[in-house]
Amino acid sequence: MAKEVIMPKFGFTQEESEILEWLKKEGEKVEKGDPIATVSTDKLSMEVEAPENGILSGIRYKVGDVVPVTKIIAYILQPGEKLPEGQDFSAPSPVVEKDEVSPEKPIVTGNATPVALRMMQDAGISADAIQGSGPDGKITKTDVEEYLARQKAGKAIGKAAATPAARRVAEESDIELLSIQGSGPKGRIQEADVRKAVSSASQPIKTRTSAEVTRIPLKGMRRIIAENMGRSWHDAPHMTLQVDVDMGAAKILREASARKVGGVVQKFTYTALLTKVVAWALVRHLKMNSRLEENEIVLLPYVHMGVAVAVSEGLIVPVIKDADQKSIYQISDELKNTAERARNNKLVPDDLEGGTFTISNLGMYGIDRFTAIINPPQSAILAVGNIVDRFVPDESKNPVLRPIMTITASADHRVVDGAEVAEFLADVKKGLESPGVMYL
Amino acid sequence: MEKEKLIGGEFKPDEAQHLLYLMVLTRAFEENAEEMYALGKVHGTMHLSIGQEAIAAGASSALTRNDYLLNTHRGHGHFLAWGGDLNHMMAEFLGKETGYCRGRGGSMHIADVESNNLGANGVVAGNLPIAVGVGLSIKIRKTDQVALTLFGDGASNEGAFHESLNMASIWDLPIVYLCENNLYAMSTPFDQAFKIEEISTRASSYGIKGVTIDGNDVFAVHKAVREAAQRARKGDGPTLIEAMTYRWRGHSKSDRQAYRTREEVKEWMEKDPIPRFAAKIGVNDTEMEEIRQQVKQDIQKAVEFAENSPEPDLSTILEGVYA
Amino acid sequence: MRELTYREALYEALDQVMKKDERVFVIGEDIGVYGGAFGVTADLQQKYGKERIIDTPISEAGIAGACVGAAITGMRPVGEIMFSDFVVLSMEQLVLQAAKMRFMFGGKAKVPMVLRLPEGSGTGASAQHSGSYENWFVHVPGLKVVMPSTPYDAKGLLLASIEDDNPVIFCEHKLLYKTKGPVPEEMYTIPLGKSNIVREGKDITIVATSVEVMRSLEAADQLAKEGIEVEVIDPRTINPLDMEPITKSAIKTGKVLVVHEAAKTGGFGGELVSRIMESEAFAYLDAPVRRLAGLDTPIPYNRNLEYHTVPQVENIVEEARKIVQGVY
Repeated sequence: MAKEVIMPKFGFTQEESEILEWLKKEGEKVEKGDPIATVSTDKLSMEVEAPENGILSGIRYKVGDVVPVTKIIAYILQPGEKLPEGQDFSAPSPVVEKDEVSPEKPIVTGNATPVALRMMQDAGISADAIQGSGPDGKITKTDVEEYLARQKAGKAIGKAAATPAARRVAEESDIELLSIQGSGPKGRIQEADVRKAVSSASQPIKTRTSAEVTRIPLKGMRRIIAENMGRSWHDAPHMTLQVDVDMGAAKILREASARKVGGVVQKFTYTALLTKVVAWALVRHLKMNSRLEENEIVLLPYVHMGVAVAVSEGLIVPVIKDADQKSIYQISDELKNTAERARNNKLVPDDLEGGTFTISNLGMYGIDRFTAIINPPQSAILAVGNIVDRFVPDESKNPVLRPIMTITASADHRVVDGAEVAEFLADVKKGLESPGVMYL
Repeated sequence: MEKEKLIGGEFKPDEAQHLLYLMVLTRAFEENAEEMYALGKVHGTMHLSIGQEAIAAGASSALTRNDYLLNTHRGHGHFLAWGGDLNHMMAEFLGKETGYCRGRGGSMHIADVESNNLGANGVVAGNLPIAVGVGLSIKIRKTDQVALTLFGDGASNEGAFHESLNMASIWDLPIVYLCENNLYAMSTPFDQAFKIEEISTRASSYGIKGVTIDGNDVFAVHKAVREAAQRARKGDGPTLIEAMTYRWRGHSKSDRQAYRTREEVKEWMEKDPIPRFAAKIGVNDTEMEEIRQQVKQDIQKAVEFAENSPEPDLSTILEGVYA
Repeated sequence: MRELTYREALYEALDQVMKKDERVFVIGEDIGVYGGAFGVTADLQQKYGKERIIDTPISEAGIAGACVGAAITGMRPVGEIMFSDFVVLSMEQLVLQAAKMRFMFGGKAKVPMVLRLPEGSGTGASAQHSGSYENWFVHVPGLKVVMPSTPYDAKGLLLASIEDDNPVIFCEHKLLYKTKGPVPEEMYTIPLGKSNIVREGKDITIVATSVEVMRSLEAADQLAKEGIEVEVIDPRTINPLDMEPITKSAIKTGKVLVVHEAAKTGGFGGELVSRIMESEAFAYLDAPVRRLAGLDTPIPYNRNLEYHTVPQVENIVEEARKIVQGVY
């Protein structure tokens, strides 16, 4: 009887493999265990072995085809044996839709509402995967929706056992609790665990692997950054001014901004709020939103806000066009979108051009304050630090705990003077501390 | 010569007339209260003293307003007789901000500490231990004040009764213990709760004077309280007065009065203290009618005042919990 | 500064205030020639006479009522209940009269009285003479509840309580009477409703009352040797309760242990923990907030059983250490 050769599943999460090479030809004699093809998985190339002694027949895919795991890619026939009915030697079929030939999905059962059961059935999720929020842990429609939304957003699934302090720090640091190993009782995540995770995320501990120096050619993006920054530092006399901002009101505004999108609660990011506020302030201080050209300072009437994003090769600055005209939600969505495309190398040149001002936020790395270098041909840049709880005096000189963020503006002294930068910073501070002023 | 002018040897004519007015006022106030209750204008329950008006008139008139009054839950008459203002009393009854207790106390806790009226008490015998403190306070301050302490037959069976009378007697405190024995502790008849004939005999246990008097006779009450107060002011300690009376209405508004007969109630209604006092002081029907008209007007004005008064503001809900 | 015992500090407070304020008198059982069951009034009757140091019959309702009646007529009485346990016999006067009078009368009366309750275990007095009942009174709006833990606090808080225009339940722990500490000679008051940070530390906050403050400080000394820095806070008055230092401390340390001698179930710790949970400190908590309190049992007679019924130093050390180490 014809023996099927299937595309094996090598990895836990592997769903498909590409045929890299057929090591044996159609009609060639093989022995059980012989490699007959190489295929690629996510990272590695693996060999597909002959499951039986016999003749390799009925090869169904050519090199370059991507084949779902467990699909039949060929047969091993005994002398005189024929291919099963309907199998055509000569014309390898294209990749077929997975659903058409995959076996029936198992029936999902469990403690869930009928709608939830159907949704899980459709999505192929087992009832064990979802924690029910209904009576006696019954899984509801909302539970499934939230699960799917998290799955789609690439977020870890499940509930983390964590202390309130750990949850707070995780949210402030924008780190997923489920990605953290807890050191408390029964693996509960403590504040220290989150802090450790945050600092190791920003500063990976590297052990020395080689005594040799490594030489990285200065090319591509690195070279452009090198040239731009060098020129900026050389040409533009940098002046830096710094101010502390009480982010209490911003925090409240952010909480109030929460909206449910696809079952996931979304709030705008602080960067989005900053973009909005800075754009508002720039319109009032156009010298900060200008370009130095030969013998002229060109004041720009529109704000195209560059927001620096770290990527593996360096730094890119996607631009939010007309940021002064957009809502915080719009800005928040655009930022999320461009940052994601930046990390996936999917930005188009248009995303990066025409910035009139730049915001660089290193708060998520736990940086309290820093100074940034102006991104030419712009005239100024804003460096944003972490939001940290600090004791500050209230009106009656008693210490109160407030969320404080330090912002630092660097400006080209050829274009603006200290007082103008100070006024600009004062407006940014005002906009963040009392967002209402933007509507006055 | 002086003595002949006093009616019954106790009251000047205008004083007697005023006491009669107060008795009629008390009854009218309570009848009006019943009416308002029926109309749903009153929030809580109330304890009516209709039939017992003689005790309030006789007792308060035997004391000065420098003395102290410790009242009971059935205390409308005593409050008015002590000099309480009808308007503010009515306002309290309707739970208004202008009431004596700003609408927080109601009928059962009405008080005016400023005029030494230390309040009606909702706990049976609750004011008896307090009376000891008032007596001590008077003694330490060395004033000649007296604390008139009211309670009912039911309160006489509380432990606090014993602690209070014992402490007052050993220290010779200036307290007049005035028990209004109206024969029922809520529904419990006197003879079911007492082996003795008269509560006043308990005074002997404390080595103090005890008397039982006709509580529907203003003169008898006045005389007994006056004499007790005299003893107290002299430093001879407390007296236990038992004033026999009867409440015509139920214990409170929720009382069906299944524990007594209509005949018994009727019998006591014939001993109505108001016409009795009117006859004794020589007030004729025409004069009586004039008093009734005056009372009617006064009640009407008080109801208007109360109904036009503001409700307590919700923002003041926590006021008065702490000083 | 000169040192006095807790008992002497209370005596001095009474002596000084009676000299200054004729409205103050003391009333209770065996407080005259006998000097009080725990000697607090000592020879005050010789100094101030029988009219101001008043020996009463065994009449706890009478004592409480006498305080109420005197207070609303302008005096400032200080009542003593021989053992806190007997306060149950005064409850009607305290809960239905003293606490509610001002409110019922529309805020137009004042009841400035103090009732002193010697409470607590550790003397072998067994079940009916060793209770700690302070939280009953916390649950009654209109009463204030004070629990001094040192001689200094005892004097300052007693004077403040006498000065206060509200009924104050003043809980003295019997084991504290003999403890010594610095006490200024002059009259001074400690405001009611002001928590005291007795010791500063960064690793864990212990909120303790009365005798447990003393034990917590001893525990903190031991834990310091292990490198655990304990912050100890004594609320001093548990109603009104000054939460601010407690909340701030909880934010700082992220770990809180509440210690009191009274039985755990329904005790003051439950209230305190709830308030911490309701406060902004919640997001800073890094371990469950826990209570160490008396076992839910009457106080036994047997010395060993009695000792183990209420939190002792070693229990506090162990519990605090476990919280810091993240065992819970």
